Amino acid sequence: MQKKKNSRTVYIVALALFLVGFGTLLMAGLKQNSIYFLNVSEALAMPAEDIQQIRLFGTVAGDGLVFDPQHMGVRFMLADSDDASQRIPVQYRGVVPDLFEPGAEVILEGGYLIQEGVFNAKTLMTKCPSKYEAENRPG
Amino acid sequence: MHIIPYYSLLAALLLSLLAAAACVHQAWEGRSKVLPWVENAQIVICTLVTISSFFLLWAFYVKDFSLLYVSRYSDLTLPLFYRLTAFWAGQAGSMLFWAWLVVICGTIILFTKRYRLLGGQTRVFFWIFFLGIQAFFMYLLTGHQNPFMEISPAPLDGQGLNPLLQHPGMIIHPPTLFIGYAGFTIPACLALACWITGEKQSWIQIAHNWTLTAWIFLSGGIIIGGWWAYLELGWGGYWAWDPVENASLIPWLSATAFLHTAIVGQGRKALGKTNVLLMVLTLVLCFMATYLVRSGVIDSLHAFGDGGVGNPLMLFMMFSMVVTALVLFFGPARDDRPLSGLASRQGLLVVTAWVFLTLGLVVLMGTFWPVISKLWTENPMGLDAGFYNRVCLPLFAVIGAILVICPWIQWKEGVRHGKWLAVLAGIWLALGVLLWINGIRMPLALVGASAGLAMVVSIVMLFILDPSLRRRRTAWGAYGVHLGVALMFLGVAISGPYKVEAEAVLAPGESMTIQDYTITYVGMETWSTPAMMVFASRLEVSRDGKVIGELAPQRRSYRTWDRPHAKIDTRFSLGVELYATLLGFTEDEIISLKMSTQPLVNWIWIGCVILCLVGFVALRTSKGKVRETEAGADASIA
Repeated sequence: MQKKKNSRTVYIVALALFLVGFGTLLMAGLKQNSIYFLNVSEALAMPAEDIQQIRLFGTVAGDGLVFDPQHMGVRFMLADSDDASQRIPVQYRGVVPDLFEPGAEVILEGGYLIQEGVFNAKTLMTKCPSKYEAENRPG
Repeated sequence: MHIIPYYSLLAALLLSLLAAAACVHQAWEGRSKVLPWVENAQIVICTLVTISSFFLLWAFYVKDFSLLYVSRYSDLTLPLFYRLTAFWAGQAGSMLFWAWLVVICGTIILFTKRYRLLGGQTRVFFWIFFLGIQAFFMYLLTGHQNPFMEISPAPLDGQGLNPLLQHPGMIIHPPTLFIGYAGFTIPACLALACWITGEKQSWIQIAHNWTLTAWIFLSGGIIIGGWWAYLELGWGGYWAWDPVENASLIPWLSATAFLHTAIVGQGRKALGKTNVLLMVLTLVLCFMATYLVRSGVIDSLHAFGDGGVGNPLMLFMMFSMVVTALVLFFGPARDDRPLSGLASRQGLLVVTAWVFLTLGLVVLMGTFWPVISKLWTENPMGLDAGFYNRVCLPLFAVIGAILVICPWIQWKEGVRHGKWLAVLAGIWLALGVLLWINGIRMPLALVGASAGLAMVVSIVMLFILDPSLRRRRTAWGAYGVHLGVALMFLGVAISGPYKVEAEAVLAPGESMTIQDYTITYVGMETWSTPAMMVFASRLEVSRDGKVIGELAPQRRSYRTWDRPHAKIDTRFSLGVELYATLLGFTEDEIISLKMSTQPLVNWIWIGCVILCLVGFVALRTSKGKVRETEAGADASIA
């Protein structure tokens, strides 16, 4: 039985060491890579200086859409998916995805430029038109 | 016409409940007389669900748009192959498909020799759990997720299938995942049943082939999803740590942990409870994956609607975990043998399982972070891809290192072929230096890639040194799987960090350069088919002044889909693959182009193919009685 005790202690010590190392890693990750996931109305409710690095969810509004002629960027108004009166102007430089169009639900990552009064998106992703929910197009 | 399939499902629901109730009654009485009746009921249920499934296939075949589901996911121009596979394109259909597979698994097991050897009581308990799960599926399919809803009047044409999904990868990906999910049902029910009755036979042995097959399909399904994303979505990556991708990875991590603790538990009665728990957890996590994808609880890139399945799924998962906890804590006590020391192969297996479980926990927690963080913040916090890379990749590197060393460690401490192990360590170091010289200098990439290469060397060396390994089929299977894993390590470690991207706007005749390649834009070609208009750009690829190939990325406009859609093109290479996306074009044929180089990316898919195909070699035949610890030791090189 002595041997059993010993080997069990070794396992427990090893597990503790592993968890300490992993815990440090995890804490660092949670600290550095944690960002707000906000929809437009939540973002508007926050002070502008707090939204320096967030993930923003919303719907592309039908008006105010300006494409860069070379398709290497776009400026548009992002509306709250539930309340279209809540809007944030957005500028984005880079590849505009295929499915980007008025009414598309998009996910942006970036921060708010207080001087320009515009949200500067570093990434722009359109939601995959899911295979699970067909669009309600007049068919 | 549509009454038949729906009522078949309803009958299957009633029959499952009835048979489960009969089993509960028998278990209470401590008898098993009802078994023949229950087993026949299972065959009837299988027939009923098969009838429903064929009805749906038939409706797609004859373009019966009066079925809502058929009109949503197909149209008149959709080719037959995509029409039939649209069976699982939507929510209700994929649920039916999964349920169908579960029912088939439950019928197949009836005819296996190992099942016949089980004690009567164990079989009764097995059916209680299995029929319960089956009834849950039928409950969903006859309620929230009914694939046989009708529209009246029937539309003349359907809405068509999203062009993104018209790709072989997307056709194979869902069914492979579902085969994996369905396959875990059997081992999980067996584990609980055998634990309760104290079955003499090891359930791990009985379920070995089921577990392994399910795991292979799940692995394949996940990687095919990545391959599809790489070829179809055009952003040049294969994994974005998106909630929907993470969903299927979580059960895979727990299943992989189980595969390793199972080796310890098999034959030497150690880790008994752990194994039962991990197996059931894996199954529950498959439902969790579906919950994540379907309930809309987490906003992800995929706009999934909530078909009202969220709550039933959540309740089902909670109920399963409570039942498992009751079985394990109040069930009969079983004595576990102590483990050997940590520095033995057994110890390393346990450590490997810890790492996999930790990974699973990280991914689960990270995915649910927006929900969890609401406990202390008003605005939800989420975690970006950087979080997963920071936390998960070091853990994978640890697994890589264990993989190189583990096969050289004896079952009960000590080293075999010590001299050669030293040689291997030297080779590993040399590989690291070689990679360093070649510019692979990020620590994680260096460890991952050198470990991947060293694993290959390690496996080859062992097979040369150890003739007894070459004679055992299970060893070929186990080492072969890890050879595939080694190649995937190499691909993942290099392709992600060392990808180079460049974008340019080009007029015909102009060129751009990326690394040492020159891409010259020749011109546009357009043509149309009944289903789409295709705009293809022609690109010439040259290197050191010599033309080495062509690329033709396209944009397509589908008739039923009002948005243009990019079709990427790649120049296949086992070294550096070129990847081209046509972002847009103007009327005077000026294109905006995105190019990227993807070093060693194809080794990920090659590794996966090896892993899946060779995995089947490790399946056991009933006549090949495996010598327990020996085979266990060799089936467990990681």
